[in-house]
Amino acid sequence: MTRTAQHATEDVFTAIAHPVRRRLLDLLAEGEQPVNRLATPFEVSRPAISQHLRVLLQVGLVSERRSGRERRYRLHPDRLRDVRDWLATYDRFWQERLTALGAHLDEESRQ
Amino acid sequence: MTVTDDGIVHEVVYPHPVGRVWAALTDSEALADWLMPNDFEPRVGHRFTFRAESHAGWSGIVRCQVLELAEPRRVALSWEGDPPMPLTIVTFTLEPVEDGTRLRLEHTGFAAGGPPALTVRDLLGQGWGSKLLRHSLPALLDRMAARERG
Repeated sequence: MTRTAQHATEDVFTAIAHPVRRRLLDLLAEGEQPVNRLATPFEVSRPAISQHLRVLLQVGLVSERRSGRERRYRLHPDRLRDVRDWLATYDRFWQERLTALGAHLDEESRQ
Repeated sequence: MTVTDDGIVHEVVYPHPVGRVWAALTDSEALADWLMPNDFEPRVGHRFTFRAESHAGWSGIVRCQVLELAEPRRVALSWEGDPPMPLTIVTFTLEPVEDGTRLRLEHTGFAAGGPPALTVRDLLGQGWGSKLLRHSLPALLDRMAARERG
């Protein structure tokens, strides 16, 4: 990963660190939504929701478009793919190393 | 893999005596054979690095320190990889069982690194991961891949 890509991934981590923003992403995973519908399930103010959506916009996790008088938001999961790939690599690492340890022990016992 | 509040746990039973498993965990050459090339020494406080070939997303370098050596039951190392991974702790615990040795690997400390690190735990955990990462996201990624092909 280049330095820039690494920073970008860190920004995504920061963006999704907040439970409200993760919940927003969950809602958006079901499809494009107007901001009103996104704000409904939360006990936080509309401006607070807009603020969270701005953070998600800045890191490219969502896009925004105007439709008449409302703003609609859409999820861009390719940025999450970076995070998921990073985690999958990390989990596979231990899986593979522990298998290699088994092979090493078998080899030792034959000597 | 099991996810705890603060990291991940793997448990494996090896058909080998505890002494042999202990040797594989506390010898530089053995560690190089199954884990990564290193300058490990079996001495509490010793600082060393694991160096693997770098590949996409990883410099290949892990900075470590020996935190605990309780022969033949427990080895603990600090483990610091690339950002956004915080300084974490890797603990190997050995337990003799009927058919060999149960090795428990715990990789913990994700919660200590602040919000980005907490997210690592969250993503690996059951909450958010189960819904978005395991179901919605794979489906979305499949659709994206289909679009890219089309």
